Amino acid sequence: MPIADTAARLARGALAAAREGARGLARASAALGAAAWRARPGARRAAALLAVAAIAAAGIHGLAFQLSLPARLPRALDWAAARAMIERDARPGDAVAIAPGWAERAREALPGAVPLVPVPPDGAERLPGVRRVWLLSIPGAPGFSFGPELTLVRRAARSEPLPALGALSIARYDLTAPLLPLAFLPDRLAGATARLGDEPCAAVPGGFACGDGGAVRVVRSVREVEGRPRPCLALSLPGSPGAPLEVEFPGVPAGRALSGHAGFADGAAGGAPVRVAVQLDGQEVGAVEAARGFAPFLLDTREQAGRLVTVALAFTWPAPAGTVCLDAVAEP
Amino acid sequence: MIPPSLRGALTGRRAGLAALGLAAATLLALAALSSRPGASRDELAALGGAPPAAAALSGAARGAAGLLGELRAARLPTALAGAALTGLLAALGAALAGRGALLLAPLLFWLAPRHLDAGVSASPDLLAAAFALGAAWAYRRAAAAPGRRSRLSAALAAGALLGGAIAVRADSWILLAAFALHAAILRLGPGRAAAPADGAERPEGIEARLHGLPLALAAMAVLGAAALLAATPSALAHPAGALAALAAGQRRPPGALGPLAALGLTLPASLAVAYAAGLLHSAGRVGRALRSRAPARLLADDLLLVVVPAAYVAAGAAGIGAPGAGLRPWLPAVPFLALAAARALLAAAALAWPARAAPLAAALAVLALAPGALAIARTWPLGGAAFGELAGGAPGAAARGLPRQHGGEAIRELLPALNARAAPGARVFWAGVPAGALALYARAGLLRPDLVAVEGPEDADVAVVALDGGPRDLEYQAWAALRTDRPAAGVYADEVPLAFAYARAGAWR
Repeated sequence: MPIADTAARLARGALAAAREGARGLARASAALGAAAWRARPGARRAAALLAVAAIAAAGIHGLAFQLSLPARLPRALDWAAARAMIERDARPGDAVAIAPGWAERAREALPGAVPLVPVPPDGAERLPGVRRVWLLSIPGAPGFSFGPELTLVRRAARSEPLPALGALSIARYDLTAPLLPLAFLPDRLAGATARLGDEPCAAVPGGFACGDGGAVRVVRSVREVEGRPRPCLALSLPGSPGAPLEVEFPGVPAGRALSGHAGFADGAAGGAPVRVAVQLDGQEVGAVEAARGFAPFLLDTREQAGRLVTVALAFTWPAPAGTVCLDAVAEP
Repeated sequence: MIPPSLRGALTGRRAGLAALGLAAATLLALAALSSRPGASRDELAALGGAPPAAAALSGAARGAAGLLGELRAARLPTALAGAALTGLLAALGAALAGRGALLLAPLLFWLAPRHLDAGVSASPDLLAAAFALGAAWAYRRAAAAPGRRSRLSAALAAGALLGGAIAVRADSWILLAAFALHAAILRLGPGRAAAPADGAERPEGIEARLHGLPLALAAMAVLGAAALLAATPSALAHPAGALAALAAGQRRPPGALGPLAALGLTLPASLAVAYAAGLLHSAGRVGRALRSRAPARLLADDLLLVVVPAAYVAAGAAGIGAPGAGLRPWLPAVPFLALAAARALLAAAALAWPARAAPLAAALAVLALAPGALAIARTWPLGGAAFGELAGGAPGAAARGLPRQHGGEAIRELLPALNARAAPGARVFWAGVPAGALALYARAGLLRPDLVAVEGPEDADVAVVALDGGPRDLEYQAWAALRTDRPAAGVYADEVPLAFAYARAGAWR
């Protein structure tokens, strides 16, 4: 019991000492705070101090930004190393994507045999013919976003990060379900025929010119639709001819579907929608309407699958319609 | 309050001589630099006749083209305006804040890539800025001059300078509204400054007939209207129609944040902060002076530094400001901000650490100016493509879809590669290149004479494409026509492409 009493006494004493110490600390802090408050700068001096701090901070940040930016961006040596790596390791079916999208020095620096493809964050691009995507990123670039990377991660069965080349990060993605088309119609325009009503169109470099003066034209081109380059059949439809324009592609291998997009080029919404009737060996399998945007379509062709068919596209338009951009692939 | 250690002991004559020296140095520097940047769409529009006064000035200067070179001669009026602007900034800076501001105010204006870019191109914006500051200088002199004759001459100078500003850029009428507001506040504000200063003469003659309206303001109204009529002679025959056309031409979507966003995104952040501090400092001084009913002469300068930028912001917010994107529409307001910033920086240093005011002011000035100087060194001669740190530089701006250049000027940097590598007699398709640029480059000897310009990409061997962040349909058509999407050469600002050259196989050696 004496031991317990002693311990209790000691504990009470320690508690009292701690309480007294805390009170002393609080008193000292209050005195210090009061002294600081009494010595506070006036409003004008406080504003001046704030201005000095703001200008100094902005200046230091600006200097750091200007001095560090070149190191955050790839140098010529980095691009050359990326070129060498892709030239060495690329296979047929490979493509390159860049992030951020403005880093188009890649077009100049990388081998021409490997196409550059857009990979928007919404994953809307189907990337026909592409099995693997090399993603070249500049993660240090101001405004960089991981959107393309996330899109590819969602679509890839396997991803392989590769050693960084200076400011360039490289990763390779094997797509889970690559779309390997049997045919890309715009590339078959050279073997096609075209007529406006009953009148055959004249062959011109890259396509056909139809009607008086050749005002109606069909060419294999690359046009801007919804802010991206689209390899497509570009149809200039300046007036209402009263007869449909028909383009026939013979010997097209048919698969389970004919898919693609149609829209107006050069940002024009077009005066009126353009209707495209699609026939396979004379049998209509569906129709597509080009209006706003780059509208996707998917037509069932399983009945003709495994055969070589003649694909006929019949365009009708009620009023001057601008330039229509249409792509289509035969899906396996 | 700026202490004597920072204000220095500059007499008016010595300050004038120093300002002249700085102006001369600016003229030499701008003239030396002006042959390098490419010609943008708005610059070629100015050289091509719109607005007439700027075109006339440049046309006169082109008479000296043989001596100076085509590009430099066309841009000589801008260089002269830049020199005048430097001189005025130095003189007004010295008058407002002493020796330190004599150098600091011009540097706070010039050490931004886009401001320097405006000084080395023949667009009318820098001319308008110089005329605007000149008009403010004369207006200030007219208010302070003791004698009637000197008041009259200063007032006429203010009117003539405002007329010059309106002749080169029609939206400069905003200045007249700003000066009118300034005069109204001085006259009607709590200070009731209408009472003449001690020893001043009582108004007589024309001044008495104006019933207190400042003589300079009357001169500005008359000569400004005359300049507007001279610039648009059709207004004499059909004044209502001309006014309607002027209003329609200047209408644009209202946006209160337009000028502020342009300043914030395109300027180095340290300059933007210094300008904001200057504006707040001047506004605070105006507020204090109004509250204490101080005499007008103590309020006038601060009020001028506030109302002119505020008028440009208000005009932008109302949708009646200058057309165009970026900083250039607001450039005439920037010298006023630079003056306010110089004084605020010196005053802040003096208040923050009175015992070490001068070293602190020098350190602050270095911090405020160094990012801009570094940006100029890094982006030259593509200053029109530069963005500030708040936008993330050119890469951050490109990621946000902001315009990459004023209008095709970056192709100037492709010309050496084109001249060296294009096949003899190559047919070249130019996309996004302003009308008149090729003729200008050819006259300046920057473009090989055997290269043939063609209308469409189908007929071309080489396509030169300027990228401004807008539609690229023509470029994509060139890919199809030339059968390549791989450029043979490119121009980049911090890796952001500004121009590409594509070539058909065999057309690029």
